[in-house]
Amino acid sequence: MTDNRRGVTLAPDHAVGFLTDASLCIGCKACEVACKQWNGLPADDITGRLTGQSYDNTTDLGATTWRHVAFVERASGPATAWLMLSDVCKHCVHAGCMEACPTGAIIRTEFESVYIQPDICNGCGYCVPACPFGVPQLDAEAHIARKCTLCYDRLRDGLEPACAKTCPTDSIRFGPVADLMAEATARVETLRARGVADAQIYGDLASGGTNGIGGLNAIFVLNAAPETFNLPAAPSLPADRALPAYASALAAAAGLLGAAFLAFGRRRS
Amino acid sequence: MNAATSPPGYYGLPVIHRSHWKWLVIFYFFFGGIAGAAQAIAAVAAARDREGNRDVIRAARYVSLAAFLPCPALLILDLGRPGRFLHMLRILKFRSPMSIGSWTLALFGAAATAVATGQALDDRPSLLPDGIASLARRLLGPASVVAALLGVLLSAYTGVLLAATAVPIWAKRSRLLGPIFVASAMSTAAAAIDIATESRRIALLEGICSATELAVLAAWFARLGSIRRPLAAGRLAPLFRHAVIGAGIAAPFGLRAIGPHMPASARRAIEVMAALLTLVGGFALRYVIVVAGAESADDPAATFALTAAPGSEAGR
Repeated sequence: MTDNRRGVTLAPDHAVGFLTDASLCIGCKACEVACKQWNGLPADDITGRLTGQSYDNTTDLGATTWRHVAFVERASGPATAWLMLSDVCKHCVHAGCMEACPTGAIIRTEFESVYIQPDICNGCGYCVPACPFGVPQLDAEAHIARKCTLCYDRLRDGLEPACAKTCPTDSIRFGPVADLMAEATARVETLRARGVADAQIYGDLASGGTNGIGGLNAIFVLNAAPETFNLPAAPSLPADRALPAYASALAAAAGLLGAAFLAFGRRRS
Repeated sequence: MNAATSPPGYYGLPVIHRSHWKWLVIFYFFFGGIAGAAQAIAAVAAARDREGNRDVIRAARYVSLAAFLPCPALLILDLGRPGRFLHMLRILKFRSPMSIGSWTLALFGAAATAVATGQALDDRPSLLPDGIASLARRLLGPASVVAALLGVLLSAYTGVLLAATAVPIWAKRSRLLGPIFVASAMSTAAAAIDIATESRRIALLEGICSATELAVLAAWFARLGSIRRPLAAGRLAPLFRHAVIGAGIAAPFGLRAIGPHMPASARRAIEVMAALLTLVGGFALRYVIVVAGAESADDPAATFALTAAPGSEAGR
């Protein structure tokens, strides 16, 4: 397929994703706008609900907000430290939403991204609480679950996702996940050498952001603890809880039905 | 950096998204549990003493079908796109409790209908033409076994479905949620059968299931740690304490304790009252667990406690 701006070759069965680097983000929200424009998503209605939370009036990822720039202001000695990060769907290697989906609407694409087929989803909403990162959400107008598609339509045409294309500081980079991980590792070393003690990769099997999830295809370089950006430090894969839960539930049923067997043979008084 | 002065998290905003489930799903959990457990109770009663439990078996089969009937509608109306409800059956996915549940409910409905039809023909042989009637009566045995097995799964999977989410209060002690739903399904099914027919045996079973439910609930509450907050404080706490435990479990035990000391004419009324309270408590339990899930999902401290990095202070 076509090479894009960063010289990434898109080929099937070749995991591609995002590297989003908090230390390079300037909070311009161009990614949010480019995402909404390309994907035809409506603007967030902030009438009467300006949050007062720094410059963040988006607050969260949602059905029509697939990039969300978090703004954190906090005291750092005499000055104020600015932390900014563009959050997005993690396109998990083992995705909670996809495991939960009963209709098969949520699929793994040839790019290893996680995609909700809008014509299959029936809006049951189970993927919503099944995502440990709070990404998919039911759309109030379309009545189906929606989230970042990793610009599946653009990838098919050899283009990189709109947010990565538009990011003016290259805080959002697109490419093969293995390459991005190498870039992230080097970046964290650089940041640590410059004295950013909290610099870390989020979404790496070794350094956290995963626990049964098998890694993320959208990884992050953070310059503060994950919780600072509302990211869970060690989320687990919800579907892994099903089998033990079935076992205990069926054991309880067996026990109670055994009791019923005894009760039903009891001499009637 | 300033972890000591600033609270963890991002302006106290939720980390995960809450489920949209509300009344439709709460009613479904209630009726589905009764429908499934009633079939299992009927099958066990038939296996043990078919003649002695004749009334209980008959009541259980009718109660099961009656409780099943609203279930498909409740679930379909809960979908964002009800017209696409059949998409639930386009694949079977063992990893998804919702998929297992959809198939279970669909097949259970067929089996419970066959069982109730067979029972109706037992009661009134002239109900259907001879050919159909003899077929239906021959199907009754196998259908009741299938319905009982599917019924156990139907009363169990709902707890599993909640456990397999990222919602802290559902996920934290995931192995206790299934037994809570099973015990409550059994106690409410026994209560419904108890109201439909008079039987000391079914009342005894109801008591055993309620006691089990109380024990598992207590273990669950104790082991949730800080994540129990929606149940321990706030508007759900009195409902959990007084409706689920007090009215739903303690009061029926109290009524049954005083029953034998009352005039014979009042005993049946007291028994029915106890069974009704068990049903109220079972419904309140579904309400409390579903709504507590929404509150828990909105609480970033609970999510951070569930997802703390191994070896770190919980949530920091």
